[in-house]
Amino acid sequence: MASSTPNMLTKFESKSSRAKGIAFHPKRPWILVSLHSSTIQLWDYRMGTLIDRFEEHDGPVRGIDFHKTQPLFVSGGDDYKIKVWSYQTRRCLFTLNGHLDYVRTVFFHHELPWIISSSDDQTIRIWNWQNRSLICTMTGHNHYTMCAQFHPKDDLVVSASLDQSVRVWDISGLRKKHSAPTSMTFEDQMSRANQNQADMFGNTDAVVKFVLEGHDRGVNWVAFHPTLPLIVSAGDDRLVKLWRMSETKAWEVDTCRGHFQNASGCLFHPHQDLILSVGEDKTIRVWDLNKRTSVQSFKRENDRFWVIAAHPEINLFAAGHDNGVMVFKLERERPASAFYQNNLFFITKDKHVRSYDFQKNVESPTLLTLKKLGSPWVPPRSLSFNPAERAILVTTPADGGSYELINLPRDGSGSVDATDTKRGQGNSAVFVARNRFAVFTSANQQIDIKDLSNSTTKTIKPPTGTTDIYFGGTGNLLLITPTTVHLYDIQQKKSVAELAVSGVKYVVWSNDGLYAALLSKHNVTIVTKALEQVSTLHETIRIKSATWDDAGVLLYSTLNHIKYTLLNGDNGIVRTLDQTVYLVRVKARSVYCLDRNAKPKLLNIDPTEYRFKLALVKRNYEEMLQIIKNSSLVGQSIISYLQKKGYPEIALQFVQDPQTRFELAIECGNLDVAVEMAKQLDRPKLWSRLTAEALAHGNHQIVEMSYQKLRQFDKLSFLYLATGDEAKLTRMAKIAEHRGDFTARFQNALYLGDVNDRIQMFKEIDLYPLAYMTAKSHGLEEECESILEVTGLTEEQITLPSIGSPLTPPKPVVPTFKANWPTKATSQSFFEKALLGQVEGLSLEDEPTAASNGFGFDEAGEEDGAKRNGNLIDAEDDEDAAGWDMGDDIVPEVESDFVNVDSAEAGAGSSEADLWARNSPLAADHVAGGSFETAMQLLNRQLGAVNFEPLKPRFLEIYQASKTYLPASAGLPPLINYVRRTVDETDPRKVLPIIPRDIESLATNDLQKGYDAMRTNKLEDGARIFQGILHALLVNAVSTASEVEEAKKLITSACEYSIAMAIELSRRKLGTAEEIAASPEKLKRSLELSAYFTIPKLEVPHRQIALVSAMKLAYTNKNLNSALSFANRMLANGGAAKMLDNARKTKAQCERNPNDVHDIEFDQFAEFDICAASHTPIYSGSAYEVCAFDGSKYHSKYKGTVCAVCGVCEVGKNGSGLKLVA
Amino acid sequence: MDPFSAEGELLNLHNHFHQGQFQEVIDFDTAGLSPENALPARVLSLRAQIALGPAEDVIADVQGEKEPDLAAVGALAELAAGNESKAVTIAEKLAQESGDNAAVQLLAGIVLQAAGKSEEALTLLSQHQGNLEAVALIVQIQLQQNRTDLAIKEVQAARRWAQDSLLVNLAESWVGMRVGGEKYQQAFYVFEELAQAPATSSSQSLVSQAVAEIHLGRLEEAEAALQQALAKDPKNAEIIANTAVLNIIAGKDAKDFINSLSTVAPDHHYLQDLEEKSALFDKAATKYSAKVSA
Repeated sequence: MASSTPNMLTKFESKSSRAKGIAFHPKRPWILVSLHSSTIQLWDYRMGTLIDRFEEHDGPVRGIDFHKTQPLFVSGGDDYKIKVWSYQTRRCLFTLNGHLDYVRTVFFHHELPWIISSSDDQTIRIWNWQNRSLICTMTGHNHYTMCAQFHPKDDLVVSASLDQSVRVWDISGLRKKHSAPTSMTFEDQMSRANQNQADMFGNTDAVVKFVLEGHDRGVNWVAFHPTLPLIVSAGDDRLVKLWRMSETKAWEVDTCRGHFQNASGCLFHPHQDLILSVGEDKTIRVWDLNKRTSVQSFKRENDRFWVIAAHPEINLFAAGHDNGVMVFKLERERPASAFYQNNLFFITKDKHVRSYDFQKNVESPTLLTLKKLGSPWVPPRSLSFNPAERAILVTTPADGGSYELINLPRDGSGSVDATDTKRGQGNSAVFVARNRFAVFTSANQQIDIKDLSNSTTKTIKPPTGTTDIYFGGTGNLLLITPTTVHLYDIQQKKSVAELAVSGVKYVVWSNDGLYAALLSKHNVTIVTKALEQVSTLHETIRIKSATWDDAGVLLYSTLNHIKYTLLNGDNGIVRTLDQTVYLVRVKARSVYCLDRNAKPKLLNIDPTEYRFKLALVKRNYEEMLQIIKNSSLVGQSIISYLQKKGYPEIALQFVQDPQTRFELAIECGNLDVAVEMAKQLDRPKLWSRLTAEALAHGNHQIVEMSYQKLRQFDKLSFLYLATGDEAKLTRMAKIAEHRGDFTARFQNALYLGDVNDRIQMFKEIDLYPLAYMTAKSHGLEEECESILEVTGLTEEQITLPSIGSPLTPPKPVVPTFKANWPTKATSQSFFEKALLGQVEGLSLEDEPTAASNGFGFDEAGEEDGAKRNGNLIDAEDDEDAAGWDMGDDIVPEVESDFVNVDSAEAGAGSSEADLWARNSPLAADHVAGGSFETAMQLLNRQLGAVNFEPLKPRFLEIYQASKTYLPASAGLPPLINYVRRTVDETDPRKVLPIIPRDIESLATNDLQKGYDAMRTNKLEDGARIFQGILHALLVNAVSTASEVEEAKKLITSACEYSIAMAIELSRRKLGTAEEIAASPEKLKRSLELSAYFTIPKLEVPHRQIALVSAMKLAYTNKNLNSALSFANRMLANGGAAKMLDNARKTKAQCERNPNDVHDIEFDQFAEFDICAASHTPIYSGSAYEVCAFDGSKYHSKYKGTVCAVCGVCEVGKNGSGLKLVA
Repeated sequence: MDPFSAEGELLNLHNHFHQGQFQEVIDFDTAGLSPENALPARVLSLRAQIALGPAEDVIADVQGEKEPDLAAVGALAELAAGNESKAVTIAEKLAQESGDNAAVQLLAGIVLQAAGKSEEALTLLSQHQGNLEAVALIVQIQLQQNRTDLAIKEVQAARRWAQDSLLVNLAESWVGMRVGGEKYQQAFYVFEELAQAPATSSSQSLVSQAVAEIHLGRLEEAEAALQQALAKDPKNAEIIANTAVLNIIAGKDAKDFINSLSTVAPDHHYLQDLEEKSALFDKAATKYSAKVSA
């Protein structure tokens, strides 16, 4: 049905008189518009500026077209003229005359230098614009031809005429005639003449192929499909007709009905199965090509449409109407996307949900298809991702806005239709918490907060005029109205902050959630999470997308640039873009984005500039230094930036140019540099500026130097006076005398208080009166006399004014000249220090340390590797041993006739702990449930456990792990909850408790500790640890049969170690070496026990330990035969070279005299086990008893005692066997 | 007016209280409240004081007050101060005299429940009229009685009229912790949201989060949350008890925590229970012995 989308995506509109013709430039964002007023306009529709106007036609211009490659365009007007223009030189190149009436359309051929024109003179003409000649006139229509176009590939022309027909012409003849003059045989000519029926004038260049009749009024426009053999036409019968053609015929396929006034233009969508048409009914209509149903329609209030054009490449259309043109899009091209950590989730053009891994740079296969979402021609608008549930929330504008909540599968397996979707009506939908999302419906101005099962938990009335909602931080929403943004607290149901920002379209949160960027068409406003404005900036070009750098820099994309802005609003260009992209993530030098085809792309950028600026703002000088050293960050822009931002001292570090350096040095008051530069440049202007600055600093030495350079003697003199430097002042006086500069000399004399010199000077320049006065005032009578004498006057002849006291210059109190005035030391910034003083330290030392660090790291790595290797060996050993022990494992029958435990009858409110005992036949689960009696019963039945005391810690451990304490209402004890190992289970009949120290942790922790104890010869500890393992296994639970096997192996292994350690410990208890040596019995027993120590099936390295000890003991006690056998066994086992060497030596020694001095009960060739209680051999064939749990063997006489190994079970009491799996 | 409605001026105060931010409740500026809200605000503030202790101050504060609300606070304070019988006497009296007072229902309900008189507490609480606190308390009592089924119903009923209110979410999470499965995760979301937002974080919510994580089997995360909580409030019995449990589950030694728990809260359920079970073990173990003593 004709669902009209409320807002059309208009990208550009112009105001002018009626637009009759439109042409897109194939590459640049330009559009040519020919107007009814005789003007041709060239617009940049992206910038919205009028580039040029061409006014040479007389009367309306109807046809217009850009050349595909050349800087040319063609126009045709009601002055019967066709003009070819160059838009570079901006003038008409030439005019093609020939038509006898209005020219309706003009088009370039896609490859040949041809122009096709249609005219009211009923002809279609083809022109060669290179030699500017008419090459073909096609006649046949018997009314105005309104439109004629070349086929985009084939040698065909289609034309429309008011004679109600559409004609298809074959122009292959014309091509042959005008393409390279290949020799044409007579036969060729003949066949051509025969094949193509010549028209009535004998013209075979262009012949009518098909005449399509179906319109019952004049046809205004006709167009070929870009790839398919289809034609679309629009006529005054208000119909848009679709035609199909084959090699031999053409026929009408269908009609699109809907226009209620003349249809004036139509075309095929360049990429999608759509037809677009415009009409005098003021509508633009979009039709489904396959179904010929209306997809969309856009109505304009007052303007009739006259023409429509499509951009050949990108998704843009233009329509001309009574008052100008509009450039528009049919659909949003922004792919809906969302990212979480290293994954981007996005929806492709064909509505597949995919993900993209930023780290691996791989795109996943399709996770889901959303074919059913919305209507076929409307792409989804937004996507919100919930990482906890791995769910997405997709909105689509179709059907007045709807959303779907879909769980993503873990990995994509191609096209999977979304199942288990939850949907509803709404314009926007976003996740606001892990288990809540908000849905906004603009029709009734309502926000529903929903849970994951899509049921509304809360309803909110947003402020009036709300157009969109965005995530606003946990528990908050950002509500967008046309003029403001509200931060809305969902819990309190009120707006907690409001900011006047108009036209916000998108909100982008920083990765740390502290800042958000509000994007509107031309503005970026950065706000804090409390919606306080931080900065705002304006762009003349549309802002498309934005994303935050991890460091808190916002990168945003416009139509053709990626730019950045810091929080303080400083911004700049990062790089240019060839095509519009939507940024999704920045990582280091990579920008990840989606292009308009929803393909993930990776762009490389140079982040140096903004990193530097950021470091500057944060005063992170180390980083700045790093950046300066490691990158070529120079250029005027950064310097002027630094200067502008008030960091001239930093800018100074970048500049080489002395002039700039001088300026910067003056600006930041770095006089040393300024002097240096002034010396280098030596220009009076600089010196005088330096003087002023130095004076301000009170640095009179520099002032002095500058004055000297400037040869400003009087100023210099005054400076010396001011600083009290009499010596130099005297020299100044001399210089003045030398120069014959009497004023200066006078001044200096004044400064110096040198009366005589003044008098002398006055005399020299014949100013005797002044000389006299001076002398008189200073009471120099003699001098007066002499002056009078020289002038020949007497005192009486002179009338003197009253003379005051003589002038004496003040004497300097402080010898200022000796040093500069103490000024506050300008603290060198870290940066300067680093750069000036310690730059070597930083740059040169840094790297070696780094290098050595690296080296150290390598070593560590090697060590690690070695360790790992060691572990590997261990692991292998384990496996070997395990393999060896395999045969000993006896899988006991699984007890099936388990008797239910007599627990309290399930009344109201039996706790979960009670359930556990009921749900499980495992002792461990009973223990966890606190039902110790039944647990003991079970163990007794299964394993013959009788001595429970050693199990007490294990019982209490399990019991204590079973409960947690959840604080609830204040004032009451906490709620007790029961910890399960079946985390996903909710059926009370299946829940089971957690059992601490499971098989895995025992194998990885406790067992290793036991091995360590063995290795480090801490046998008491070891014995305890292995018994602990046995106890932990005795009361435990596993989930699979393979784990049961593992547990059995572990039990056997722990048992062997326990026995081995017990043997060795009992040997050590025999007494000290002396005591043993003194007693032959003890010695014998000692030798026996050391031999038995080698019997239990220990891991190979540990067995070697036992063998070494046995071998040594046997050797030192001259039991060379035994020692030899131990040595042989050691050699068979292999291992450390040193140890083997030792064994070999011993072997060699023993082989000389393989005899035992002491006779012991140890037959190296016999098969036997060791009785765990008496530590004596049980030879194969003799009767023995075992412990039902650990499998340790005993002489029959020990039947009924407590097993020495586990300390729990009764020897010889056969139970049903250990049960570990429920 | 319903003080829990989102528009109510007591909302923040209530939220602070139920999030376990007792100090914030006490510090809350009540000057701007309308007169009819002054008493509930005072009651909340006093309850927060009781929660933080010592309760004796509160007893003195409400001494001689005639308002049933404050008398109920007094009962709660007596309970906290260890005078259970006195508290129960007051509570029972109040329940008879002014059982329709919301504060009395609630506080007397707490006292009765704490004294083990769950049925009486429930009867009293069932008289409530749209009081979410009462609902939460009912849910808690039902959970303590292991009647998860009833608790689920209670929460669902409350959700119908109270929407997404904090207390409903909390009560639902408590129930969820009993139900398990997916509900663990949902409960975790609620607790985590409270615990991790600086505005709502408290040791109580952190413990709750940690407990949920323990139940979800995410021990490392639970440990982090508990450490965070311990740093905030090193003497909190619940934190110590749960840390001990966590350590045991992880196969680590928990002696230190059990010892510190016995100094902080010698009569904590954990310790009592442990002692009881230890005795039970010894008793049960005597039934068995080896045929032949070694």
